[in-house]
Amino acid sequence: MISVTKICFNIILLAGIACNLRAQISSEEQFNYAKNFFDKEKYFDAVTEFKRLLFFDETDQYNFAANKFIGLSYKQGGKFSDAVYHFTLAEKNTGTAHELFETRIEIIKVNIIRRSTGRAFILLDSLQSDETFINKIDEINYWRGWAFIFADDWESASTSFQSIAPDHELKVFADSINNNFYNETFAKVLSIFIPGAGQFYTGEYVSGLISLSWNVLWGYLTIKAFVDDRVFDGFMIGSLLWWRFYTGNLQNAEKFALEKNLEITNDALYYLKNSYTGPKP
Amino acid sequence: MIKILAIFLLLPSCIYSQSKSINFHSIQNKKLFADHLFCEGDYLRAVEEYEAIRKTIKNDTIDFKILLCYSELGLYQQAEQNVSLSSNSDLSSEFNKLFYINQFKKDQYSFYSFYELRDYQFTIKKFSTLNIFHKLTSMSYLYTDLNSRTKEEIVKPFDVKDRSTISSFYDWKLDPPYKSPALAGILSAIIPGSGKMYVGEWGDGITALLVTGLLAFLAYDNFRANHDTRAWIFTGLGAFFYGGNIYGSVVSAQIFNARINFEFKDGLNLFLEQKNYFMPEYDFCN
Amino acid sequence: MIKNNLKILFLIIFISTSAFCQLEDLKWKKADLSYEIPNNFRQRDYSFEFNNAGDLVKKSIAYTYWFFISDVDGDNCPFRPSCSAFLMQSVEETNIAQGMLMFFDRFTRDMNIYKGHNHYPRVKTGHYFDPPDNYTLDQETIKYIPSTHIVKE
Repeated sequence: MISVTKICFNIILLAGIACNLRAQISSEEQFNYAKNFFDKEKYFDAVTEFKRLLFFDETDQYNFAANKFIGLSYKQGGKFSDAVYHFTLAEKNTGTAHELFETRIEIIKVNIIRRSTGRAFILLDSLQSDETFINKIDEINYWRGWAFIFADDWESASTSFQSIAPDHELKVFADSINNNFYNETFAKVLSIFIPGAGQFYTGEYVSGLISLSWNVLWGYLTIKAFVDDRVFDGFMIGSLLWWRFYTGNLQNAEKFALEKNLEITNDALYYLKNSYTGPKP
Repeated sequence: MIKILAIFLLLPSCIYSQSKSINFHSIQNKKLFADHLFCEGDYLRAVEEYEAIRKTIKNDTIDFKILLCYSELGLYQQAEQNVSLSSNSDLSSEFNKLFYINQFKKDQYSFYSFYELRDYQFTIKKFSTLNIFHKLTSMSYLYTDLNSRTKEEIVKPFDVKDRSTISSFYDWKLDPPYKSPALAGILSAIIPGSGKMYVGEWGDGITALLVTGLLAFLAYDNFRANHDTRAWIFTGLGAFFYGGNIYGSVVSAQIFNARINFEFKDGLNLFLEQKNYFMPEYDFCN
Repeated sequence: MIKNNLKILFLIIFISTSAFCQLEDLKWKKADLSYEIPNNFRQRDYSFEFNNAGDLVKKSIAYTYWFFISDVDGDNCPFRPSCSAFLMQSVEETNIAQGMLMFFDRFTRDMNIYKGHNHYPRVKTGHYFDPPDNYTLDQETIKYIPSTHIVKE
């Protein structure tokens, strides 16, 4: 009799302990488990585990945080549409104004990095016109500056950063980049008057010299033909050769300026991505 | 008394942990989660979950869903392995359907060889599977070569409403609206550019006619005026343009035919995609 | 018996790992989210690797033409590869005579008086994609691309 009770007791005791010891984990632990994948940059698995949490957790308390991390993971994987989708889900489940602001900024950052800056500006404007975020104006301007950088408008970027602080680090940086740019119109105008001059302005001396030489040669031959009364030859050389090299010279002046400017822009963007330590999109 | 107390102390903690904690990674929950992912179309994550539990749960539906996932992911090799694993299950005819559809997706150009080798007869018993197999065989013939199949043979497996489409595919395959490269070349040899016009490249044809005509005139004019050097330069240039025009006309007919082939295959692809490769509709998600 | 079991075990482990390998390939990893703007400006290939004397002569002429004429007389060729590159590649793929015929045909199409180039697909820079492969008289090498497509060079 005693032994039966004892056995019963032991079974129940064991069941009770097993109940606690089995792989039962709380939602919080599952969240941390998923977060661990995220921290280790295993973003695919992080998404799986956060999705698992969302699927089983009936309390809905992780609808914000899990979706935010899913969005961040997708963003790291370069899957921007999925990222925005999950940030939007997170946005619908925010509890505080701070969380709401944070999620909207994340959506803006994705729009900056995928260069849909038009959308970023619309979202930034709507944040700015919202009175709840009146004390966040500096942060809004900061991201507006970044959006201008990605829209390749460094002058406006400088203005945005300046409104945060007159000597803001990125303001100074944007100004210095802006000063380095070549003026495309100026390059072209130079080459209108002296073929090759625009190329000299952009530092392409060899190409400038070749352009100048061709234009001098064909110009001379054209004028000489007209002077010698060989009107047909003059027209042919002038229209087929001189004109071709003259317009080619104009195209090149502009092309070199654009190409050099792109290099300057990309060097600046490379610096921002790899060496700048402040918040980045 | 102490024992009873101990049990009473343990029980609530058990209930408590049941309500607050979930075994996120238990076999049953993995299956639930996998089903959810499957229905959301996240096949990669779903198949990972299914693979993790298939050794513990022997279940035809799970095996079949794994096969479906691999098929959707385009991992036909994995899909094939799964077909052989489950050939004895109740769903075996469904497995067979998917097997043939995958074979077709993998290589629609040689699919008909199954039919010609008569390999399939030993495995296919069910009519619906056989029907899908025959439809795919017909499509495979249309993609490659009719191999002297009659129109009736090709059209027969299809539903009545699709037969006119397939029949027009057949007619096209039998007699495609090609342009003859040889004719284009000959035409351009007689009148420069006319071969390109025959192919439909009017702008290129007229340009070829004008350029060769102009150079021929310049050569003739210079010979008449005894400017022999210039005359020979124009003759040489003219000859190259004339040769290039014949050559180009032949090629443009070839490119025209390549376009016709492309558009035909595009039509077949579109038809198959609309029919979802004759895949039966499975209702796992409602 | 044990040996056999071990074999099966190894086989199972091998199959299951190989099955997962493929899945691993499909799983996306952290992407390199570069900020930089893709550079679509044409970079000439001035590589001086040659297999024979003919190659040396041909490349010397082409490079001289590019350097002194083509690069300074403006963007006159609506096609990619450009007319001179088309000639070089044509001669490389066929022979000098056929290459010349291909080039003169291309020249005629370039001069198209109606600017009728809309049936060619385009590359990113907006130039029309027109590779020599389509013009070797071999029906098999012709790769038809609809004009609605953007071709990656």
